[in-house]
Amino acid sequence: MISLRDIHKKFNPDTHNEVYALRGVSLDIADGEFVTIIGTNGSGKSTLLNVLAGTVTPDSGAVLLKGKDVTRQKDFERAKQIARVFQNPFMGTAPDMTIAENLLIASLRGRRHHLRMGLSASRRIFFAGQIKRLEMQMEDRLDNIIGSLSGGQRQAVSLLMAVIQKPDVLLLDEHTAALDPKSAAQIIRLTKAFVESQQLTTFMVTHSMQQALDLGSRTLMMHQGQIIDDIPAAEKARLSPDDLLDKFAQLRKTEKLTDAMLEQLRREYR
Amino acid sequence: MAMGVFITFRIHDFPDITVDGSFVTGAAMTAVLTVAGVNPWLALLLSFLAAGAAGAVTAFIHTRFSINGLLAGILVMTGLYSVNLHIMGRSNIPLLSEAGVINWIKTLNPGLPYEIWLCLVFGLILALFWLLISLFFRTDFGIAMRATGNNPAMAAASGINVNAIKLTGIAMANGLVGISGSLVAQYQGFADIGMGVGSIVFGLAAVIIGETVLPMKSIWMKALGVIAGSILFRLMVALALYVGLDPIDLKLITAVFVLAILIAPKILQARKAKTGAAADMPSFIRHRAWALGLLAVAALCAIAGYALFKSNLFAGKPKIRIGVVQMSDHALLNLTREGFVKEMKNLGYEDGKNVALDLENASGDMATVNSILDKFIHNRVDAVVTISTNCTQAAISKIKDRPVVFATVANPFIIGAGASDTDHLPNVTGVYGAVPMDKMIELTRTILLGKIKVGCIWDAAQTNSVFNVNQLKAEIARHPDITFAGATITGSADVQQAAQALVHSGIDAFVLAPDNIVFSALESVIREANARKIPVIIADVERLADGALAACGYDYTQSGAQGARLVDRILKGEKPANIPFERYSKLTIGINPDVARKLGITLPASLLDKATLITGGTQKEKPAKRLAVFVFSDSTILELSTKGILDELRESGTLKKHNISVDVKNAQNDYPTAQAIVQDIVRQKYDYIVTASSLALQVTANGNKTIPHVFGAVTDPYRMGIAKNAADHLPNITGVATFQPVESTIAAMRAIFPKAKRIGLVWNPSEANSEACTLKARAAARKYSFELIEKTVSRTDEVKDAVTALVTSGIDVFFTSGDNTVILTQATVAQILQRHKIPYFTNDPSDVERGAFFCVGADYYQVGRETAKTAIRVIEGAAPKDIPIHEYVPEAIGVHQGLADRYGVVIPEVFLKKAKVIKR
Repeated sequence: MISLRDIHKKFNPDTHNEVYALRGVSLDIADGEFVTIIGTNGSGKSTLLNVLAGTVTPDSGAVLLKGKDVTRQKDFERAKQIARVFQNPFMGTAPDMTIAENLLIASLRGRRHHLRMGLSASRRIFFAGQIKRLEMQMEDRLDNIIGSLSGGQRQAVSLLMAVIQKPDVLLLDEHTAALDPKSAAQIIRLTKAFVESQQLTTFMVTHSMQQALDLGSRTLMMHQGQIIDDIPAAEKARLSPDDLLDKFAQLRKTEKLTDAMLEQLRREYR
Repeated sequence: MAMGVFITFRIHDFPDITVDGSFVTGAAMTAVLTVAGVNPWLALLLSFLAAGAAGAVTAFIHTRFSINGLLAGILVMTGLYSVNLHIMGRSNIPLLSEAGVINWIKTLNPGLPYEIWLCLVFGLILALFWLLISLFFRTDFGIAMRATGNNPAMAAASGINVNAIKLTGIAMANGLVGISGSLVAQYQGFADIGMGVGSIVFGLAAVIIGETVLPMKSIWMKALGVIAGSILFRLMVALALYVGLDPIDLKLITAVFVLAILIAPKILQARKAKTGAAADMPSFIRHRAWALGLLAVAALCAIAGYALFKSNLFAGKPKIRIGVVQMSDHALLNLTREGFVKEMKNLGYEDGKNVALDLENASGDMATVNSILDKFIHNRVDAVVTISTNCTQAAISKIKDRPVVFATVANPFIIGAGASDTDHLPNVTGVYGAVPMDKMIELTRTILLGKIKVGCIWDAAQTNSVFNVNQLKAEIARHPDITFAGATITGSADVQQAAQALVHSGIDAFVLAPDNIVFSALESVIREANARKIPVIIADVERLADGALAACGYDYTQSGAQGARLVDRILKGEKPANIPFERYSKLTIGINPDVARKLGITLPASLLDKATLITGGTQKEKPAKRLAVFVFSDSTILELSTKGILDELRESGTLKKHNISVDVKNAQNDYPTAQAIVQDIVRQKYDYIVTASSLALQVTANGNKTIPHVFGAVTDPYRMGIAKNAADHLPNITGVATFQPVESTIAAMRAIFPKAKRIGLVWNPSEANSEACTLKARAAARKYSFELIEKTVSRTDEVKDAVTALVTSGIDVFFTSGDNTVILTQATVAQILQRHKIPYFTNDPSDVERGAFFCVGADYYQVGRETAKTAIRVIEGAAPKDIPIHEYVPEAIGVHQGLADRYGVVIPEVFLKKAKVIKR
């Protein structure tokens, strides 16, 4: 379904601040796979997501979506097939517009916007039905401004907006990182539910080893712009977070990781 | 326009400066197309598209090259200046008599007053506009546009082509602004390159005011808020001018007002954060709207208070307030008023200290009487004092809740004040004078000796009249050589016939006892009487000026004093109901010597001695008139012109003779202010307008069609659309045209420099005057065998380079004519020219002070005086349409002898003799 072929990306090339974010990443994802990605700081996980989404164009390499080369396609063109939930809960919704209007925008993702009346009765009924899936009692608050919702609620709405129109790929960029534990748990629960019910092909970048292991059918480990490990479902089932850390430690032995980075990893993923 | 700014500012999140330019683009397009005869609706559509194109360019620069929106807007606006000039072909296109959408609306008027009709139609259009815009923002496309402005990242992630939508939105917004410019140009009657300046500020203010007044989040309310904000802002400006704010202060007050509205939400939010109010939406909105409403009201009160302070309505705070109203500035009524005020002072009431006296004069107009009475009520006067019958009549029918004291009334009973001295309206009392009939006959006897027959007319249905006439008859019966002839009437239409009949029956004099109907038709009696040289003797001194020979009345001054005493009693606590009407019996005898002369009657000296009042002239007292002098800005030329105008008006005695007061109004070089001033002048019904400067002429010509208007300090009125030639001009406008003496200057160049070939000229095409002068210069140059090399500039910092370029390319002389852009950098220009020994010719003699070599100019002080002379002709009675526009170029020459010596030329004697300014 999705393929990345030898993607290279440098930011600020030939300058003081040059960052070689992706160093020849190749990847094949099958339909319906739920992939989680973990890695050190600056390992290129977010860049990878951005390349997939189209907000960043790689220097070389190709992105294939359902066999079609979409490398040069702009982000809004790709949006028809790819839905995204950002880390920042305030980024995924238009704060001065109502929930209903936001859902409308989401439902029109990838479609042309015409001069027909936006919130018709039939659409409203549809949205009311959809928002029930969140189980947050927001059915009668469709005309409230999004800005009045809490971070967790907004992220939930963002998630709903991503799946309301079934995307070919769902990209989740550390989407619970900015939430309190209770909200985070709720969002994870909803994520699981949505992905399973619609059989979505999903990419999730996460900062939590536990999440990485609990969710998904495949876990990738990234480091310094490359994928260093690819753990299939069967193996995942047997692993614990400590095991993963051990794996990182092994990398250190092969001099792929410094002590400082190892310490940082431990701190981050505790 | 405000909607356009709203779309870019609030939806796309940047203040789009392009509007200053696209506003003019719309106006320019419409002007050019309308003048070319294109269908006005098509012109409107094309204006929309043109302005929209401008907006598209801004959007393109912003999205494609990621240039900050503010900057992109400024760039495009700057470029639009040139584009607009190209579209217009000149800096100003008049649209006065052209067809247009506004004129079309006028023709549909079913007969309502013009303003009301326009309000209705525009109200309808606004409602439609509001509906369409709100619906647009509820469509998929509209919602997508709003989302793009609100969260571009999310929009892109949702598949919205952010750049494309931004482009559409910004183009649409500027298209709307273009339509606004188009309509404004049609409404004000001209399109001018400078009319867009300040548009963005207005738009932003309107948006912000709207948001504060209607803070609801629904798109219907937001759109309505923008419309409301726009209207409120304009209303505020009009209100401020109406209460008499100086245009200078106006801008400051506006800024303060908008600032207050901007700050208010922040203060409230800070307060809310502190108290941690619940985020429950409905009550939050209510709370805020309340508080903001209060703040807006407070701001308005501040403005009103300031205005009142300025207009001297509050001179301290005395406890008692008395409103005194008189019908007109008639000498007799003034006597009563003065008697009243003097007696009040004697009684211990000093105006300004413990009492406030509002002394008002209705200038002879009944409607004014009513509004004066309204004002008294509004100002909460403690008592109303009326002087003259009509005022009293109006007052007693209008005012029931406070004391009304009449100080001069012939007969209060016939106006409904009561049935007798003691049985009268409870809040009314006063002083009236009944003229004794024996005194009337005595007076008649003094004038006409021997056997005489006197005629009298009266309304037999009026008890008072019958009473008086019976008294008259009884008195006449006591004089054996006086016989009585009478005629009764039932209505004013009968009066003339009755008078005729009496005249035919051979009376020697009319003796008219007080009768309402007869007095109201007095002119008929006077006319019939004058035909046979029959004197009219009347029992009302107020009517002496209408042509009666002699009148018997009572002492007006004393009756005023008596009125004061009544007011004193009321203020001390007595109820008017308990104060009986007082009769005043001190007599006044009045005579009119002009009438005596006309009738060929010599009045005996004894009578002249006894007479307490002599009225000369058959003309009524002239009511005060008002003249507005309106200038567009403060330039030297206009200052001189204004001084000339005022000096001539004053020194000729015209102001005094016709009782005219003059108000000078200055628009401070700002269009909207100029328009507001003209609207104000029209609203306040000035009697005359005198303008100085071409722009003042243009704005006034469009906003005023009835008040006589004399213009001066205008270079070319024909290009402004005021007139086709000197005799064929708009009927209410005439004036003095002062063409720059360009040809004389170039002739002088030829005379002083016989061998010179090339003239260098720098000018700014956006100045209408410069354009006119340049055309003249081209013609004159040809005539005198010169080659004219021109360079154009659009801003002052380009002048230096232009001059240097001309100098380098080799010119023999340099010329500039009244171009403001060049004038501002004159010192620099003069320096460059002097360094290269190139003589500098201008059209302003005072320029020699700043380094010019030779100047032939118009003496604008004299122009001002000539303008005033024309105005005086109009004041004396000539109609502007009969006065042709005349050219007046009082040439004044300035010579720089020092430079002449340096350049080694001799200036011909003929110029030196005429020179006003000579610099060594």
